[in-house]
Parts: sequence; C-alpha cells; structure tokens
Amino acid sequence: MPGPASHFQTSRTEPFSKTPMKPFSKLGSLALVLILSLAAGCKKGQKNYTPLPGYSGTPGASSGLGKGQPILPPARPLTGDGAGSAGADGASGVNNPDGPGGQPSREEIEGMIANREQFKANTVYFDYDKSAVKAEGKANIQAVASYLKAHSDNKVAIEGHCDERGTEEYNRALGERRALSARDALIASGIGADRVVTRSFGEDKPAELGHDEAAWGKNRRGEFILLTPPPAGGLR
Amino acid sequence: MLRHPIIALLLALGVSLSASAAEVVVSDVTSRAVPINLNGFAGEAKTILEFDLYVAGFDLVAPAQAQYSLNGKSGGALEGVLSDVNNKATLFNRSYPGGSARAQAHALADDVVQAITGRKGVSRTKLVFKVQKDRVSEVYASDFDGANPVQLTADGNIVAAPAWRPGRKSIVYTSYRAGNADIYSQDLTTGNRKALVRFSGSNISPAPSPDGSKLAMILSKAGSPDLWVGDAEGANPRRLTTTAADESSPCWSPDGATLCVVSRESGFPQLYTVAASGGAMRRLTTAGVRNTTEPDWSPDGKWIAFTRSRGDYFDICIVPATGGDAKVITEGEDPSWAPNSRTLVFARRTSKFGPRKLSLLDWPTGHVKDIAQVAGSSSQPSWSH
Repeated sequence: MPGPASHFQTSRTEPFSKTPMKPFSKLGSLALVLILSLAAGCKKGQKNYTPLPGYSGTPGASSGLGKGQPILPPARPLTGDGAGSAGADGASGVNNPDGPGGQPSREEIEGMIANREQFKANTVYFDYDKSAVKAEGKANIQAVASYLKAHSDNKVAIEGHCDERGTEEYNRALGERRALSARDALIASGIGADRVVTRSFGEDKPAELGHDEAAWGKNRRGEFILLTPPPAGGLR
Repeated sequence: MLRHPIIALLLALGVSLSASAAEVVVSDVTSRAVPINLNGFAGEAKTILEFDLYVAGFDLVAPAQAQYSLNGKSGGALEGVLSDVNNKATLFNRSYPGGSARAQAHALADDVVQAITGRKGVSRTKLVFKVQKDRVSEVYASDFDGANPVQLTADGNIVAAPAWRPGRKSIVYTSYRAGNADIYSQDLTTGNRKALVRFSGSNISPAPSPDGSKLAMILSKAGSPDLWVGDAEGANPRRLTTTAADESSPCWSPDGATLCVVSRESGFPQLYTVAASGGAMRRLTTAGVRNTTEPDWSPDGKWIAFTRSRGDYFDICIVPATGGDAKVITEGEDPSWAPNSRTLVFARRTSKFGPRKLSLLDWPTGHVKDIAQVAGSSSQPSWSH
C-alpha cells in the first residue's frame, strides 16, 4: 500500500485487507456485492464512498448526511418571539372568548394584577387520580365565592396541580380538569363564568418536594389567585 | 474451505435470506440480534459505531461468534469493509471523506444497517425534548444519540411536549412564558417563534399530522380538556371529543385518518381512537395492562407504543394499532418512534421519582442504551420524521 496521504483513493477501489484474494473468490464476492447492491436499490455505477458535508473532492455531490433530516441550528435559544415573528397577535384565541359559559378573554386577564396571598388558605385538595372537589374543599370554594361576590370587579384564576405519579401530559390535562371542577363549583355558587379562568401546571410546580403521600396529598391541589383591575390612573 | 460450488451458492443465497429475515423482524414481536464483529476502529468512531449498531439491533461480538464483520480504520476519512463471515463475501467497501468524525461514523453505521437488513438507518436523525432544571424547563434538540445538544428556548419558565413538524425544520411545543399553557411553533432555521394557540384555559399536547396540514391538541376552552384539530397553524380548531373527563396526548395514524388519544372517561386513563373527520371515540384494547397514557403510532401504521402506570412505576408497552395483547417492553415513559418503526426513544427515571434521562430502545431485540444527557431531568422526547 502507498503512503497514508493516498489512502482515500486506494480505499475506493481496494479492500484494505492485506491478504491477497484469489481471483475466483474476488470475482465471487464482486458478483455478490453487485447482487446485494441491486437488491438494496443502488444505482449502477455508484461510487463506493459517501461524501459528507465539507468534503471538496466531489464538486456538486449532494451529501449523504442528514438528507431529508433537519439540521440543528446554531445555539441561539429564544427569549423573545424571534425576529420577524408574527408574535402573539396572530394566534388563535387571544381575543376570542368561547361564548356564553366561556372563560374571560386572555386580553382581560393579562391586564389584571395577580394576588397570590388573598386565597392562600383556600387551596382545595384532590384524591389520587381524581378531579372531583372533595366535601372538605367546599367551604374553601364558598369563601372564594363570597369574596368575589363582595368585589364585583375582581376575577379569579384557578391553578390545577398534580402529584408526580402520573405521566407528564396526562397530569397536565388532569390538573386542568381539577381547576375546571373548582371553576364549576364557583359558578354553581353564583360566580359568573366570565370571572373565572383556569390553568394547569401538571406535575411541574409541586408545593412539596417529598416522594410520599404526605407530599403528594399537598401537591394534588387547586390554588385560587385573585385578579384585580389595575389601579385607576396608574401605569398600565 | 468451500470446496463445493453449490454450498458456496447456498451460503451466498443465505446472505440474502438473512437480509429478508431481518426485514421480517419489524412485524415479529421479538427477534434475535444480529452478531457483528468490529475490527480496526478506534476512539470516537469506535464508540459511535458500537452505539449505533447496538441500538439498531446488532450484538457486538468476538470474531468467532460473528455473522458479519466490519473492518476499517478511523482517523482521517473513515473506511469500512462489511463482510459476511460465513462465505467471506464483501458486502461493501466504502470510505467516508469529509464531515466530522462523528458524521462519518454515523454514515457508516447507517450503511451497515441498510446493507444487512435492507432498512434505512436512523443514525442521522434528530431528537427534540424537554430539560428541567430546578423549576425551570427549556426545549432542546440533539442528534439521535444525544450528541450536539442545542438549547432552543431560554425563557426561564416551563415548556412541555415539544414535537417535530414532519418534513420541516420546525417544531411545536407548549410554553407558559405568557403565564398560561399556550402552543407555539419555532422555526429551527430562522429562529422565528410564533404563538399559535392561546385560548383562555389550557392549550397543550400539540401533535402535527403526518402530512403537516393539521394540528391536533388538547384545549379546555369548552369546559373540559378535549381533543381538538385545527389547521397546520392551529387555527379554526374543531372539537373531536366531548367527554366531561380529561383527554390527553393525541397522536396520528400515518395516513392521517385516525387519532389515538388518552381519556379518563371510564375513571382511569385508557387509549381510544377517533376518526380525524369526527365520530365516536372507540376504546383501543390493550389486553394485560391498564392505566395507559402517552400513545405514539408507528410510522408504518402497525403499532402503538404507550406508557402504562403501575403504582409508582411506568413501563413502555406496545400493542397492535388495531388493539390486542399489549407487550410490556421495559421500564420507562413517553415513547416516540424513529422513522424505522423499530427504534424508540423514551424517558426513564434514574431512581424512583428521581430525574429522568433519555434512552433508546430497539424493541425487537430489547436493546436499551442511554443517550448522552444534558444536565437536568430530560423527558418528553420526539423523534424527527
């Protein structure tokens, strides 16, 4: 074999096995390679190398790498909407409350001030893999309802959560179902549907970090967040 | 050695027979790994070839046990000669000029898979997934083996369920960056992000249809988390399920005609199918297992992989797409099929309730291998198609 500099060229035509092949077996293996190549759908006369991006030996040759597959972009994680983006304005649903019985619009909610302290003692808890509001949670929901009745310009957001024993997206849907159950109870207590918005964090925001029933029981919860209008004349 | 030409001929035929036998593997539930010996590779090339071939259903064995041998050398352009050990036939003899050492090794691994099994390799595909650190999660993408990880979001908030848009350099995912679970798309070439769906309530679990023309998702805007299907950008969503219970994790059949979705309608999570054009939800039989979530339909249409919960543990299971006996494959969560309808990426816990990491599974052989991990807890992988 020639020096290392020429190994590209030689390797295209010869195996690098140093043991010389007998003419018959060489012919036999060539025939087999041909059969297999045809079986694999290779084009006749295809060169026996696979050029990769950056290889300049075959001008115009398309690369075998990542063909039909996405190439990863350079690392530039997004913190905003990204240049040229339509942003949130073109999204489905922003100004589109879902008719009677629907939740307040996102525009309304996002203009309000969130108070996480007001209803801190009124959090409701759920049984494992259940979304029904328990009897002992009903007094807490009544307390929230009474406050909202006395403050007619306020609204409320309910955040549903789960313990870590479900799968992630299942928990995200279950947390939403829990928040909606609490919302249904508020509506049944006389609060307008357009005053109650729901969210779910699934298992992503546990209240307790333990891995036992004591922690899980605290994590299967619905939290009430008071939403108040921005102060009059204040900065919006 | 082979004195009789007929024996030589039979052995030569045996090569193509074994190639077609390996093809059949996809429809069989289990199969034996193909024994191969690697010789002459070093460093990164060796590591990559061993990983890629193992998760493609090969066993790396000593020369005496090998059915195939891959001889080559690494350093400079990678070179590889694939031979059938029994009849000394050379299946190919190829060099891989250009690219990185990593790209060369993946290309060679794909050629070995193609030459021996007739299947297209998946060594040059990509993954997208969620990585959680403390209480913050971001979307990442990487090569199929976890190499070259790229952080795609840096909102310092919560993300969920990233998914590739088939055939496009674009993904969809849920982000809470606006204070609510909303669905976004992100173009991986331009970096442009677009809020697609942000109704009040939850907008979660986006699943682009195989032809990219529709987006399935779970929306709670009608009072319960239901399955909705909108156009490619999520607009004009149409409600497909109307249960009072929560639905979650939709996925599409490859022809786009049917969706598989989880519903808790019966009081615990089960898999259902529903026509994309609308109609009744039909229970998918998963005999032998219950509490089933996170379905993913194989690209060849034959199988649905999913997660079953048993108490504090989760298992990856596979069932025929028409329903039937479910097979429990290995402990883990949230499987996503590779384009070859054979390899799966999934999440598994490093300890009970510990952080998750991503692994690959070649389900016919049961081969499982962890991919390179990003620091944090990695979950919800989606394989590029």
